[in-house]
Amino acid sequence: MRSWLMRLLVVVALLGTCVVGCRPAPKGPITLTIIMEQVPDTDVVRKLLPDFEKENPDIKVVIDAMPYDAMRDKILASFMAPKATYDVIIVDNPWMDEFVGGNFLEPLDDRIRRIPDYDFEDFVGPVRKIGVVGGKVYGIPFYNYAVGLIVRQDLFDDPAYRDAYQKKYGKPLAPPTNLEDYVRIAQFFKEQSGGKIYGAAMQPQRGYKVFEEWKNWLYAAGGNLLDEQGNVIIDRPEAVRALELYIEMYKTAAPPNSLNWGFDEALRSMAAGEAATMMSYNWMLPTLNNPQGPAGALAGKFALYEVPGGKAVLGAWHWAIPRNAPNKDASWRFISWLTSKRMEKQRVILGGAPVRVSAMKDPEVWQKGFGQAYYETVLKILEDAEPLARGPKAEEIIQVVGTELNAAVAGEKTAEQALKDAAAQVRKILGK
Amino acid sequence: MNRRDRALGRWLLLPLLGLLALVQGYPIAFAAYISFHDYQLTALDQVRWVGLAQYQGLANNSSYWNAVMNTLIFVSGAVTLELILGLALALLLHRPVPGQNAFRAIVLMPMFITPIAVGLMFRFLLNSQLGIIPLALRSIGVEIDWFGPNLALFSLILIDVWQWTPLMTLFLLAGLEALPTEPFEAARVDGASGFQIFRYLTLPLLRPVILAAVLIRMLDAFRVFEYVYAITRGGPGERTETILFHIYRVGFLYFRLGEASAMAFTLAAVILILVVALFYILRRQEAWA
Repeated sequence: MRSWLMRLLVVVALLGTCVVGCRPAPKGPITLTIIMEQVPDTDVVRKLLPDFEKENPDIKVVIDAMPYDAMRDKILASFMAPKATYDVIIVDNPWMDEFVGGNFLEPLDDRIRRIPDYDFEDFVGPVRKIGVVGGKVYGIPFYNYAVGLIVRQDLFDDPAYRDAYQKKYGKPLAPPTNLEDYVRIAQFFKEQSGGKIYGAAMQPQRGYKVFEEWKNWLYAAGGNLLDEQGNVIIDRPEAVRALELYIEMYKTAAPPNSLNWGFDEALRSMAAGEAATMMSYNWMLPTLNNPQGPAGALAGKFALYEVPGGKAVLGAWHWAIPRNAPNKDASWRFISWLTSKRMEKQRVILGGAPVRVSAMKDPEVWQKGFGQAYYETVLKILEDAEPLARGPKAEEIIQVVGTELNAAVAGEKTAEQALKDAAAQVRKILGK
Repeated sequence: MNRRDRALGRWLLLPLLGLLALVQGYPIAFAAYISFHDYQLTALDQVRWVGLAQYQGLANNSSYWNAVMNTLIFVSGAVTLELILGLALALLLHRPVPGQNAFRAIVLMPMFITPIAVGLMFRFLLNSQLGIIPLALRSIGVEIDWFGPNLALFSLILIDVWQWTPLMTLFLLAGLEALPTEPFEAARVDGASGFQIFRYLTLPLLRPVILAAVLIRMLDAFRVFEYVYAITRGGPGERTETILFHIYRVGFLYFRLGEASAMAFTLAAVILILVVALFYILRRQEAWA
């Protein structure tokens, strides 16, 4: 018994010395963990990290990159934890209102104000506004994925095609600026090439993809998902017309049996020289024009235009700080450093998709990046662009509408019926 | 076994029961709890008791019933085809031929690939423009839209058959090798034809193994997710939306975990009924045999 007591005393004594004598370990660098998607834009950020760590020796940055589909639940799990797993997150535009509604994100207005030369207004308007919810800033633009029309410029410039088109339609062959012309030109390419080149590599895959492509058509036809007052107007005649034209395009000018095509397949089809146009992310152009890229010998023959009608679907990623993040000041130092005018320029030169007007208008960026014409077109696209859906239920609305659209393209329903069903479900989701 | 042994046996069970309660009992109980609540991950401050409302809501939720139907078609189609092909392959591999083990190893290979990779492989193999299968078919004048509205679910069944027939073969082959040889020799001496031997000897003797194999494959097939996720995302329209994919959408894309849990419990109920029914049949046959 006594020996037992002695031992206990020794242990207590040892612990005691430790409490008195053990000082907290010298403060090492703070480690920031950032969740990101496995995409080229993340690699660009990786290249800039050594500069950040050199300028901020007390901060170490770890990027946790993963496929898109794994991100949403990981981010949410991090929100739920007592202490966030991620110090900095990136937020896809359909999630923004939902995350703010759940009270998961830190407002950034005060922090922005404290940096005098930050120039928040320099972020192009529609992208900037995604990160502003209820008058407060929660997200800082990271990169855009607005949709543009990518065409094979060599085909549009080919005299044989030009003459044949002029003869047939009595006007010059040029990238389309309205839906009717788009369908007609696509059909023309397919006929004229004897079916070797399809008019448009489309992405009618159920869910996000088909809605992301078709909503450009909806804008061009003068329609939208909701009107200014928030009423659902996706079943109006202009929407029906947009969907009927889209289906006509799919049936007459797109690669056959491409009903489940998403972004990968359309890109491959374009890169393989099997399609004359596609609606896709504006930054696919540099990828296609890269001689070491997927298009090989066709590299350099692609050009970017605004989608027919001019108004495009906007996608964008934003940086945000979770409310439960432990080192918010360090998180903000990283975000504000990377999104500053100076670093935005570096990022865009390295191939990142731009979000600041100043970078897109910078001659040095033009020269070291992908050329003046490209950045000017991207700026034009971004200035007139709108996300697929907003509000805390955006993700569900996108899935529901995308299911109905895909059913209509598959011939399961008429365009009118599909849009009527979509509208009914969206109204239900919004509680109208 | 005396009483002390039994008592000891019960005590020895405790750690396992404790572990099960922790890793299975608790999650299931919690899922049951949230299935009676309006439980949305992004609005945890608004969780409220709704009783059976989510279960009742399923009754006229057409997407849910459509997913249930698709799953039943998928399970019955895939397991039937796998049984027929698996049995044929097992009978072939049962014969003593040179290089028997090599054949067996080759046949079993698809099973070792992770399903998501199989899904991605077939997404491109069956792609009309890029895939080798449509190319080969086109050369003999056949044009098939594998992922069109009429065939998409069937294509997914075929992919499942490609991947999981080997498992069926493995079970049945093991069953065949375990059969006693005497009845077969006797039948041959009595002059029974090959078909008669198969119909009146092999099949009845193999029945328990067949039932077990079918049961295991069915339970697995109910959980089909990867092919749908990698290839069609439930499309065209809702033609390939399976129950698990639907639960995933509601639970992990919309974060409506309460509703998703309710659906999961109905799925568990269906599976439970099937298992009990199959076990019942199995028991009766064993008694009869």
